[in-house]
Amino acid sequence: MTTVSVDGLRVSYGKRIVFDDLDLELGVGVHGLLGPNGAGKTTLMRVLATVLRPDRGDVRLLGHHIGNPSALRQARRQLGYLPQAFGFYPRFTVREFVEYFAWLKEMPPARIPLAVDRAIERVGLLERADDRMKHLSGGMLRRAGIAQAIVNDPRLLLLDEPTAGLDPEQRVQFRALLRELGLDAVVLVSTHLVEDVVAACTRVNLVDGGRLVFTGLPDELIAAGGDDDSGDSPIERGYTAVLQGARTAPR
Amino acid sequence: MRRALRVELRRGTAPFAAAAMLGAGVWMLAVHPDDWAGRWAGLANYLRTSLLILCALMIAAGAWQSGRERRRDIDELIASTSRPGWQPLAVAWLAVTVAGVAGLLVAFAGAAVLIARVATYAGGGWWWTLTVGVLALAAAAAVGVLVGRLVPLRVAAPIAGLTTYLGLGIITYWDGTPAAWLSPVYGGWAVYSLVPNRVTALQAAFLAALTVLLLAAAARQRRAVLLAGGLAVAVAVPITTGPGTHRLPADPAAVELVCTSSGPQVCLSRINAFLIDDVTAVVQPILARLDGIPGAPRRAVDQVAQPAGPSIERDDGAVWLNLDYQSTALGGLASRKSLRADFRQVTRARCEDPSGTRSIDQRVHRTDTLATDWMLDEAAAPDDEPLTRLRALPEPAQRTWFAAYLDAAHRCDIPALIRLGEQS
Repeated sequence: MTTVSVDGLRVSYGKRIVFDDLDLELGVGVHGLLGPNGAGKTTLMRVLATVLRPDRGDVRLLGHHIGNPSALRQARRQLGYLPQAFGFYPRFTVREFVEYFAWLKEMPPARIPLAVDRAIERVGLLERADDRMKHLSGGMLRRAGIAQAIVNDPRLLLLDEPTAGLDPEQRVQFRALLRELGLDAVVLVSTHLVEDVVAACTRVNLVDGGRLVFTGLPDELIAAGGDDDSGDSPIERGYTAVLQGARTAPR
Repeated sequence: MRRALRVELRRGTAPFAAAAMLGAGVWMLAVHPDDWAGRWAGLANYLRTSLLILCALMIAAGAWQSGRERRRDIDELIASTSRPGWQPLAVAWLAVTVAGVAGLLVAFAGAAVLIARVATYAGGGWWWTLTVGVLALAAAAAVGVLVGRLVPLRVAAPIAGLTTYLGLGIITYWDGTPAAWLSPVYGGWAVYSLVPNRVTALQAAFLAALTVLLLAAAARQRRAVLLAGGLAVAVAVPITTGPGTHRLPADPAAVELVCTSSGPQVCLSRINAFLIDDVTAVVQPILARLDGIPGAPRRAVDQVAQPAGPSIERDDGAVWLNLDYQSTALGGLASRKSLRADFRQVTRARCEDPSGTRSIDQRVHRTDTLATDWMLDEAAAPDDEPLTRLRALPEPAQRTWFAAYLDAAHRCDIPALIRLGEQS
């Protein structure tokens, strides 16, 4: 079942075109979004998070066409987003911060207290729930950011570099959370850490130079690599091979 | 909404706004207790005068609050949420407004307790003056919210506050014109003046429309901007084309006289009547000293009851007391010296030469001073020979001298006044 559909997407910043005629289909599950720096991962995330208006193209999120204001609002209610540059209010406690975003996402007031506690617990911050955000470490802040993203049980979850700053143990826990979330939601995870993709993602999308150059299973990406390709792990070799192939292939 | 408001009240700019307004309120009340003490209308008027500084603080607080999303790099995350943008903005504005007003009201509540102990007049629509002041603070916070949204600089808040202070200060120079009603800051008119109900209602409507206009502009709600803008203009027109702020009528109930029933009569307006015991203690001995002297005042009356006219008439038997700034914070008389100085109107010869200017003959002035010192029973300086000589005369002769002085002063008989000064 396709729940995110992008058709003929064009996005530019001034004269620089980031995407031109991009098509993308995402269904329920955890989708990795890979690509080198400047490939357009964050731009795609921002378009799907409805904070960047595309120049052209059709974007449908969870069956809602985001060009329609009332449909956009419906889609946003079911959206969770963790941007790459995650800002926060330092004087808020973790609980207050997540609670505030639950309100911004128009959750029914009666559901908020329980949902907030559940989200904080899922990211392992329950013991620090009443600490102010300014007293948290970088990894804890990231987890608080994930908590606000999942507080409304989103059907579309967009996480831009969610594992940045997490220690190995936290990353393992986070991957488990991703797998759990991906059971009934579309989860798109932008990352540079290909091992996260292998461990947690059901599908992989690879963008480069504003194009979607690969979409498939992690095993298919692994299989694309050979022993001669650069990389320390099978998926890194697959990643390198696909990128090199895309760059040498005629457009 | 309540949940978000509660969080903003605890963690946003609101607590700082409350502290700043409390501090500013206490400071302003402490600096000029004579402006408000003992009178409810004085307290309400003083709040409106204080808005010169308080509005500046509220604008700075509003700007700091609404610039928070950009400062904390969280605007994109908020933009991805479904709640319409005007709602978090309204909550942030409401939190700053509620906290700022609460902080100020705590300070003014302290003053209100002091006033409640002594006040002798509670009418005059002061409550509405206060209410419009609160609406002005809400509008100021909305100005700040708009500034914070439009100007992506950290210094926007302090600069907006300073600019407001200067702007409102400049507008006070237009006091007297109808447009001055659009400024929330009162020019400091008398406590017994009555602002017409129509003007108060229009001011309230204008400030409410302005608040909605500013918030709608900050939230980019074009339709609401047009509606509120239209309403603000519609309300502003009758204000700016109506009567100005000068010559406000006196509140008849506030200026109604309350008089002593024993000794030489002392009459104060009802709004100043809380001072009557303190004033009587100062004034009656002077009146008693003058009792029976032809041409001398027989009673002392609050100046607010003075008939309108270009000058104070001396021969109506009354000396007029200016009590506008004559109260301590606890409701006592602020300055006996100033009150006694009001009696100088009795001993000031108003003689004009043919060119129409007041005589400044120094010899006449010395005679006036001598008469004043005798009337007020001032202690004579060692080198003050005229006063010493006058005091050395028998009491009936002293009173005769003073009666002759009043007669000469009344007739503007300059040679007689000079002679009286030299013969004493």
